[in-house]
Amino acid sequence: MSADAHGEIIIDKEIDIIVVRKTVRDVAAKLNFGITDVTRIVTAASELARNVFLYAGSGVMKWRVLNSSVAVGMELIFIDHGPGIADLEQVMHEGYSSSGGLGLGLPGSRRLMDELEITSQVGKGTTVTIKKWRRRYQ
Amino acid sequence: MTSESISVIRIHDVLLVTMPPDPDDTSVTILQEKVLNAMERYRVKGLVLDISAVQTMDSFFARVVAETAQMVVLMGGKTVIAGMQPSVAITATQLGLTLGGALTALNADLALDMISDTFRRGR
Repeated sequence: MSADAHGEIIIDKEIDIIVVRKTVRDVAAKLNFGITDVTRIVTAASELARNVFLYAGSGVMKWRVLNSSVAVGMELIFIDHGPGIADLEQVMHEGYSSSGGLGLGLPGSRRLMDELEITSQVGKGTTVTIKKWRRRYQ
Repeated sequence: MTSESISVIRIHDVLLVTMPPDPDDTSVTILQEKVLNAMERYRVKGLVLDISAVQTMDSFFARVVAETAQMVVLMGGKTVIAGMQPSVAITATQLGLTLGGALTALNADLALDMISDTFRRGR
């Protein structure tokens, strides 16, 4: 996989969550992440893709390969133009859910990934960026 | 892409369901109804949910599994979740998932034993 590989998946049907999972699994495996890290990344992507579909109805996931001198990484950005989130601290808090779900999506995804960044504006939408790194030389 | 149909098989007095590697939300939801209907129709002792092929268990999937287990209990049966892969167990724990009161087993064989034992002791 080339060092600047990237792509995007439109999320506007429930089945697109599966397309996101398959794409992310494929890219993570090609970047030689171990099976547990692949599972962590795919699971976090599944949570965030479902959030996009559930709360905004539609959105996009952009993925790209990251390179630093010591590590290879994978970045996933979930962008929607849904209702947005008024209280970001609340949604990052375990057990908070406005949809009757488990409320694990965001705090859980942060634990599975190395980095999670969220920006949101009420009435404009939400962007969640997650990253996972793998050291080049063990 | 259409949702995969997951079959519910009756073996003696147990229902056996084998989950596909990457089940979508619709087939997971349909499965819940199929299981409960089969519980009533076949008057079985319980359900073995074989998830040994499952590669991704997110909070939606876990919630439906935990709910189904609880519903089977309400109907008078037992649920055993069998064969979770190590990578899925690590991820599920870090994500914060629990399976409610469902029993677990290393594989479907042991799960079948557990359902028989539970009822033998109960008699």
